[in-house]
Amino acid sequence: MAPSVVRFPPRVLVFVVSAVLVVGACSSAGSPSTSGGAPAPAASQAAASGATGSAATGQVGGQVTVWTAWGGNELKAFQAVLKPFTDKTGIQVLATTVRDFSQLAINVDAGTPLPDIAGPPNPDKIPEWAQKGIMKPLEEILGADGWAAYSKDTNPALLTIGVVDGKHYLEMVKTQVKGLQWYNTKVFTGTPPKTYDELLAIKPPSGAKLTCVGLESGDASGWPGTDMLANIVMRQSGPDVYTSWYQGKQPWNSPEIKAAYQLFGKFVSEADVYGGPNTVLSTNFGRAGKPLFADPPGCMFLEQATFIPSFFLEDYPNLKPKDDFDFFPDPSINSQFDGNIEGFWDSFVAYNDTPQSRALMQYMSTAEAQQIWVDAGGTLAALKTITKYPDPIFAHAAQVAADAKNILPTAGDQMPADMQHAFWKSTLDFTNDQSQLDTILAHLDEVRAASYTTQ
Amino acid sequence: MDSRILTAVGAVVGIPLILGGYLYLTERLLAAASLRTQARIRPYVWVVPAVSFATIFMVLPTLNTIVLSFQDKTSTRWVGLDNYIFFFTNSETINSLKNNLLWLVFFTGFVVIGGLLIAVVFDRIRYETLAKTAVFLPLPISAVAASIIWKFMYDYQPPGQVQTGTLNAVIGTLGFSPVAWLINSTTNNPALIFVGIWTATGFAMVIISASLKAISSELLEAARLDGANELQVLRLIITPLLMPTLTVVATTMVITALKVFDIVYVLTAGAYGTDVIARQLFARLANADYGRGGAVGVVLLIAVIPLLLLNIRRFRQQEEIR
Repeated sequence: MAPSVVRFPPRVLVFVVSAVLVVGACSSAGSPSTSGGAPAPAASQAAASGATGSAATGQVGGQVTVWTAWGGNELKAFQAVLKPFTDKTGIQVLATTVRDFSQLAINVDAGTPLPDIAGPPNPDKIPEWAQKGIMKPLEEILGADGWAAYSKDTNPALLTIGVVDGKHYLEMVKTQVKGLQWYNTKVFTGTPPKTYDELLAIKPPSGAKLTCVGLESGDASGWPGTDMLANIVMRQSGPDVYTSWYQGKQPWNSPEIKAAYQLFGKFVSEADVYGGPNTVLSTNFGRAGKPLFADPPGCMFLEQATFIPSFFLEDYPNLKPKDDFDFFPDPSINSQFDGNIEGFWDSFVAYNDTPQSRALMQYMSTAEAQQIWVDAGGTLAALKTITKYPDPIFAHAAQVAADAKNILPTAGDQMPADMQHAFWKSTLDFTNDQSQLDTILAHLDEVRAASYTTQ
Repeated sequence: MDSRILTAVGAVVGIPLILGGYLYLTERLLAAASLRTQARIRPYVWVVPAVSFATIFMVLPTLNTIVLSFQDKTSTRWVGLDNYIFFFTNSETINSLKNNLLWLVFFTGFVVIGGLLIAVVFDRIRYETLAKTAVFLPLPISAVAASIIWKFMYDYQPPGQVQTGTLNAVIGTLGFSPVAWLINSTTNNPALIFVGIWTATGFAMVIISASLKAISSELLEAARLDGANELQVLRLIITPLLMPTLTVVATTMVITALKVFDIVYVLTAGAYGTDVIARQLFARLANADYGRGGAVGVVLLIAVIPLLLLNIRRFRQQEEIR
């Protein structure tokens, strides 16, 4: 059990307190036998690890606490990664799923113990925590040899993240890339375009349109459009504009962002998108790629992240990756900003320097550990040396990540929730009526003024 | 076993036990007093549990919401009327207010009038039960499920493709091109309101039908003998006699219209100018903005109060008639 302190707003507290009073009263009056504690798992596990401690070679023993945000299959994959580590070192890994990582900051402020290893804090906390020594630099934790191997073999774009005063703090273990143009290999047979202009100049077969787009996603409708916009901004105006944009410092009605919407507009215009704007707005993102494989084809390209083939296979179970469909990364707009891609990553930070946390951090940077993650499917390794993927599409995506200069985070995810929702919705309104762009951007600036104020 | 199951069982079994125990104990204590004192004290003793539940679960949270609405996002700073000023100057909330007005007028109007007409017409046909069941059927369906049904009904495919949405398939066979019902700004609000009408008319019909049955047939017979035609009977006899029922149904529907959320949330999530106040409230709370969320909630509460007063007055009048 995690010692989790969650801050409730007072309103919830009233409810909880009264509920507890009622329930407490019930159990004391009604059923006295309801309470009964489970044995503490931590204690028994520690005892077990101590017992098996010195059996095999290279045994360190003891334990290491880890917080992750993973559940479900991701957690299973993580446990599969940990198993050989525990077998080899005898170190028991006490992994806890913590959904809300602001808990880390709460512990730091309160001076209560931190887990040995956990994900990073909010990006704005990283410099302070690094300088105060709350986060331990990888250069020390991994040891000289470990750091040399990690820094040589990890995708260079990932090594630019979480650097303070020349020291690295985020150990990258997994990554994903977005902004890929998917196509049917029977329909698009040419070489991938080098620029957006070339992409937009491609002539689709008669009866088909250039692009397919689906923005419907329930309450989150519009997010696929925000990914397309993000990919445009980073290629058109560069990583600095991109970063200040999601940090709320770049006005939405600035020429850079306006130009990005205008270019995005071509992908969802009546002339170029399958079915016109109404279809874009009515189509779920998962079904958007269906016309790629229809006979005759409805469109040539669909922009989406690495997860989309699973949706292709739902509609057309016989498709073979690479043979029937493939992708190329979003092309260049301004050559000065080539090599910026949108993606996300999973990383660990060491908060306590112990022999056990060092051992685990070192292990997770190895190809042995990351290969287990990759084999579990659905992700790319952070190491560019890993080339054996269960699926040729992921091998190709791994190449895109390895070639990138900067892997920039999903812009919407970095914005305050109000801003993110307004951003999602803006792509719907803009697709619906592109002539409203100025009004839409003005509204986004209103939300920006209101939502970045109190964090 | 999951401790939550034990808690749930404890609550389900325990709360009635406590209430029973409370009443038993207080009765035992009262027994010591004189009969007159008993009669005077007993009502208060009996009303205490209900009032305390209402206080804990309704009054206190309401007061707390009002307090939160005068504070900032994280409830740490007083901001005066800022959240209310935001509410009445923000284009999204104003648009939501307008849409709620549309709901209020058209949803309430169609449900009450539709329910009345259906009740009166079905009263005279042979297969009354069957016909009423058909109209009533949507009511037990949860609003989310009903909305998903209509999401399929309103589905849109590009012109020339097979129309998977029932409505577009129908108008397609008549030679019209498909309409993006939920996106087109002239059709989307009516489309949403229609889903509401579809689910609620059955409720109005059942209530109205029940009080229709209570009107004595001699009265109607007498009117007809005096030469009133059926329309006059409906307008001059039935409708006035049903007025108390119609008022209750109408106020219930107005409140439903003011707090409509699920249909809009499922079908459009408030996009394309279909947003409503309750979805705004949800969005603010989901984004942990307790200040503005609280303000939305308070405005909604204030909008409902006159209707509640109206209802209470009606009830009082009816009590007096009795």
